[in-house]
Amino acid sequence: MTDLPDFNAMTDADFRALARDFVETNYPDIPRYTLGRLHWDEVKPWYLVLSEHGWICPTWPREHGGMGLTAGKHLILIEEFERYGAARVNDIGPVMLGPLLLKYGTEAQKAEFLPKILSGEHVWAQGYSEPGAGSDLAAVRCEAVLEGGDWVINGQKTWCTLGMDANWIFILARTDKTVKKQAGISFLLVPMDAPGVTTRNIENLEREAEFCEVFFDDVRVPADHIVGGVNEGWTAAKALLGHERVFIGAPRLSAAAMTRLKRIALRAGVWHDPVFRDRYVALQCDVADLGDLFETYVDKLRGGQTIGADVAMLKIFQSELYQRISELMMEVAGEEAGLAQAPEGDRQLHAAATWLSARPTTIFGGSTEIMRNMLAKAILELPS
Amino acid sequence: MSEEWVENARMIVESARAIVPADGSLERVRKVRFEGPGYDRAVMQEAGELGLFLMRVEEEAGGLGLGMRETCELARVLGRGLLPEPVLAAIMAGAMLQGSMPEEAMTGAQVITWAWQDALGSLGWKGGADGGRIKGTKQAVQGAAGADLFAVLTDQGVALLPRDAVTLQTAESLDGGQLCTISFDSEAEILPCPTAQSVLEDATLAHSAYLLGLSERALEITLEYLRVRKQFDRPIGSFQSLQHRATEMKVSLELSRAAIFATARRFDTGADALTRARGAARVKLRAAELAMHVSREAIQMHGAMGITDEADIGLFVRKAMSEANLFGSPRLLRARLAELLDEGDAA
Ligand SMILES: Cc1cc2nc3c(=O)[nH]c(=O)nc-3n(C[C@H](O)[C@H](O)[C@H](O)COP(=O)(O)OP(=O)(O)OC[C@H]3O[C@@H](n4cnc5c(N)ncnc54)[C@H](O)[C@@H]3O)c2cc1C
Repeated sequence: MTDLPDFNAMTDADFRALARDFVETNYPDIPRYTLGRLHWDEVKPWYLVLSEHGWICPTWPREHGGMGLTAGKHLILIEEFERYGAARVNDIGPVMLGPLLLKYGTEAQKAEFLPKILSGEHVWAQGYSEPGAGSDLAAVRCEAVLEGGDWVINGQKTWCTLGMDANWIFILARTDKTVKKQAGISFLLVPMDAPGVTTRNIENLEREAEFCEVFFDDVRVPADHIVGGVNEGWTAAKALLGHERVFIGAPRLSAAAMTRLKRIALRAGVWHDPVFRDRYVALQCDVADLGDLFETYVDKLRGGQTIGADVAMLKIFQSELYQRISELMMEVAGEEAGLAQAPEGDRQLHAAATWLSARPTTIFGGSTEIMRNMLAKAILELPS
Repeated sequence: MSEEWVENARMIVESARAIVPADGSLERVRKVRFEGPGYDRAVMQEAGELGLFLMRVEEEAGGLGLGMRETCELARVLGRGLLPEPVLAAIMAGAMLQGSMPEEAMTGAQVITWAWQDALGSLGWKGGADGGRIKGTKQAVQGAAGADLFAVLTDQGVALLPRDAVTLQTAESLDGGQLCTISFDSEAEILPCPTAQSVLEDATLAHSAYLLGLSERALEITLEYLRVRKQFDRPIGSFQSLQHRATEMKVSLELSRAAIFATARRFDTGADALTRARGAARVKLRAAELAMHVSREAIQMHGAMGITDEADIGLFVRKAMSEANLFGSPRLLRARLAELLDEGDAA
């Protein structure tokens, strides 16, 4: 989009008003305030609207079709979309692959893949984890061997979020078995319709197929489908630490959960119970304090500073706080806590949905245990 | 030399093996969930034929006259196997009806359950009986979706209603069963039931033992996972942070077990009303918190595997979520204990 205004030149208030108006005007007739992820066929209209207006990749530079937003403006955009309850689009292309290609991709790769992310023609899945490589990601075994100008891939990936909707997947593959684990990994781009790729859906605890396994059986991709050089995949994947990882620690999820908790308490008739209030207020303080801590990071971003490893503190506190709120919800909901469906069809009153949706937040994107290990070492400088 | 109840419990558990496989297979449990009433009526018949529903019927009334320790031991084993059938509810119906328990309910030819709770989020029952009629609503009636007979509690006593005398409202629960409400307005004979309050306390205790069994098995499965799952070339169970948290679960489990069986002993040897009321609330409070504690940790320690429906640990988590708040949520039980704080306490 060539006629986009200079968003960063706008005041925050003006940009906020613009973002609010944008989502209110353009949000299609699809669900809002969903706790789980929507599949591509449901969320596609929203993706396409964002795409048409040039709003699908807020952080990409404008010359590549992004909005070129600063971190501060991006945050406002996220806030306004979330306030409206806009569904999260399949953003692995815009959020993960795009920035990585911008940094490590060849000009040809950028020209080939970026426009197709922007248009929604390519929907991407992330293929890092394997059955044997979770927290220990460097242990990946899925193998790629160069053979007659093609990478030949054999192995398995798993837990690919919305992988069943994707037509492309990026993977970490073992390309050298003779060196230190991290030094023998490459980053490859694979079309899901290549011969030899098969998937199997996995139902999550809410009995919805939100992730899948992907199997590679002599799958061939051209040699130039590698990003960042042979055996450089680990560096590329690890360097993918955009400012987005700050937002995973934003207090919004918890703040919204507090509103639901209040409604559940009202329904259960305990909103005025002093014992309940004692616990509610303690959680409310946690949410507020998290908000303040979060702001210190956002301020750093606004000031152009980079964010260090210590940002993991935000993710730990936010995800566990969200879980603690969901736990109080379960208690307060009483017998209704055990319902499979929302009471009276009102998702806000469904304690179990929040409890279940809060579980993975301490597992994906680096489990809380791994983050604590990392903080103890990198920030507290404790001996190993 | 072990006490008599230990031998009785052993025999009961032995016979319950027919309905709860010793190998811990959950295949059947998985199959019946989200189907029909969420359990298998044929298994209720088997349980009836094994005499389980006679456990709390006095010997003079043709029952087994067993105690709460035996009942809790059975409940624990049922919980380990996540048995979906309303066996405990049928036992409690027997406890209320005693000699009036219909033959076909005793044998399991007909599925019987009991209904006591007037309103969600509360722990009692009031009227409903007037002359020869009963009228009202009962909540969270266990197994109601597949039951033929309902032993309904009123302040005048207990009434036995056939299926066609009740209107059933169901809502699917997370474990794949049904949370049921029944409504009724019909003529019925009201049988006196002076022990109604203690049956509720017994049921609370038995339910706690079910949660104990569930937690015990969920912990075992998690410990097994910690032993076999390797990351960083080591079993994840070798990481000290996980070891400490596994230990915390074990401590909660043993506190719960001790409290349940000590309380059951007090019940069996004649505790006063206040001791019973406090005991039931305390034990249930602990068991509910245990089940949710183990559920949270079990998921976390299983990593993404814990987020899947195909891993068996999820069956335990869903059951815990469905049942932890029956017979009072921890919040309600703490409030109940607070009410009892100054009662009968001279000191
Ligand atoms: C909802 C969801 C979506 C996901 N989406 C994707 C995706 O799109 N693409 C993708 O590639 N992956 C995805 N993942 C996978 C995710 O990255 C992994 O789950 C994560 O890396 C943890 O690995 P694991 O599940 O194998 O757990 P494991 O590594 O087996 O860990 C099991 C438990 O052991 C703990 N543990 C492990 N090592 C240590 C240690 N050294 N010290 C202390 N404790 C330790 C863990 O914290 C955890 O509690 C997703 C996961 C979830 C839950």
